[in-house]
Amino acid sequence: MRKWILVLWPSFLIAALAEGLFFTVIDPQELYLLGEPVHYSALATYSIGFLGFWVVCAASSLTTIFLERPAREVNRPR
Amino acid sequence: MKDASPKPAPGKDVAADREEVLYAPRRKLYVRAVTGVFAKWRWALVWITQLVFYGLPWLTWNDRQAVLFHLTERKFYIFGWVFWPQDVFFLAILLIISAYALFFFTAVAGRLWCGYACPQTVYTEIFMWIEQKIEGDHNKRQKLDQAPMSSRRLALRSAKYGAWMLVSLWTGFTFVAYFSPLKELLRSVSTLGFGPWELFWILFYGSFTYLFAGVMREQVCKYMCPYARFQSVMFDPDTLVITYDVARGEPRGTRKKGIDPRTVDKGDCIDCGICVQVCPTGIDIRDGLQYECIGCAACIDACDQVMDKMNYPRGLIRYSTENAVKQHWGRKEILGHVMRPRTLLYGAVLALVCIGFVIGLASREPLRVDVIRDRASLAREVEDGMIENVYRLQVMNMTEAPRAFHFAVSGLEGAKIDGESQIKVGPAATEAVTLRVLVPADSGKPGANELAFDVKAEDDPALKVHEKTTFLFPR
Repeated sequence: MRKWILVLWPSFLIAALAEGLFFTVIDPQELYLLGEPVHYSALATYSIGFLGFWVVCAASSLTTIFLERPAREVNRPR
Repeated sequence: MKDASPKPAPGKDVAADREEVLYAPRRKLYVRAVTGVFAKWRWALVWITQLVFYGLPWLTWNDRQAVLFHLTERKFYIFGWVFWPQDVFFLAILLIISAYALFFFTAVAGRLWCGYACPQTVYTEIFMWIEQKIEGDHNKRQKLDQAPMSSRRLALRSAKYGAWMLVSLWTGFTFVAYFSPLKELLRSVSTLGFGPWELFWILFYGSFTYLFAGVMREQVCKYMCPYARFQSVMFDPDTLVITYDVARGEPRGTRKKGIDPRTVDKGDCIDCGICVQVCPTGIDIRDGLQYECIGCAACIDACDQVMDKMNYPRGLIRYSTENAVKQHWGRKEILGHVMRPRTLLYGAVLALVCIGFVIGLASREPLRVDVIRDRASLAREVEDGMIENVYRLQVMNMTEAPRAFHFAVSGLEGAKIDGESQIKVGPAATEAVTLRVLVPADSGKPGANELAFDVKAEDDPALKVHEKTTFLFPR
């Protein structure tokens, strides 16, 4: 549980920040998805954007806690 | 004969209460309700912040929702103002103001924000009030938790969880109403026909409210809040914090009522443990300042009541500063140290940014014009020895009235606009227009020359914009 929170919570905070910054500067109508202009509603684009940011940030947090395992733990015989 | 199995002292671990959740093994807290002057302040702030939060989306202004961060239109409506993405500067300034206000108040009086106004505190207070009303006081709640499942327990539990859920859903609904017009949301309520994303965010925000205020509570402050971790950099020995007066209180211990503690070698602390029972984060303030302390002052209220009962002076636990405790300062000396380089600096920056914000807002021109040169046709010679340049003008009317705007050009002798020189723009809307500008061939040098557009509202001469661009002459 502790690890889940370490991954999901900081990434949530940073994703909220990234979402705010990104969509302040960029209008979702100007985005292209696989060469086609985005045709989702604005709310859907914002929502998917936020969840996307969250996933990316969580992936980074996950990598961090994966790599911070000490040698002792990695070497532990199974 | 002594009782072989003494009741656990308040604040001590009880094996049955241990829950292996979240970050650390957590002892479930049964927070005792508290009354007193600081509890009144906290409730006042619960009322103020929540009246604003739940109430704002219901206000109307100019026949529209008074406060609406309209995501689809990419416009923020705040009473008389309409903010566009171009106004992000104001948002940045607002964030700076919030940050410095936080620094300032923290330097002066510690975690005022956490103790009284933070949504985590406010919603926890509301949820605990519901819990108290349905399940009873902290002792009854603890008994209920330990009791075997019964129909009474089931009924109380469902009532509590149900009430929490209603508050959470209402909170989620209100949150979404800031971003999606309330009127449309209300229409969807009866049929539950919300858009998929509206429904998602109502449930998302609602469940987080439930989880944070109902289940996680103090753990959010202890393990998840970044502010709790860096607050100490704003503290100094003159910051007002909740302090237990060790010199006066120790050695603590029980004594008969009405006895002078000095005659039995005791301090003023009767070790009743109520300060621990009322603490929402479950710490013992008598151990000194701890990062878990959110500065809610519940222990001050509780201790003052005990001191009153014992006929001791109040303030064994009180707002005080490190220096004041060391040097036995009174209220006057503490207040005298509120003004110090750190607070003056934070205060000065805060005041300056606030003034800048107000000036910026007052002088904000609700008209914006972007001039883009038509790159396809650079400069073209037309009849009568005139040179023609083509421009595209994007006119943003940031007011809430439809307006007609008039264009003129200046900067080059004999410059004139060929054709229509007027445009109508709807309320809070953008219109684009293509203008052909003619200039006599002999009034400029080959290459780029300065030219300016003057855009003026027909009904309000004060509403005008002077926008520079370049005019090209053929080489």
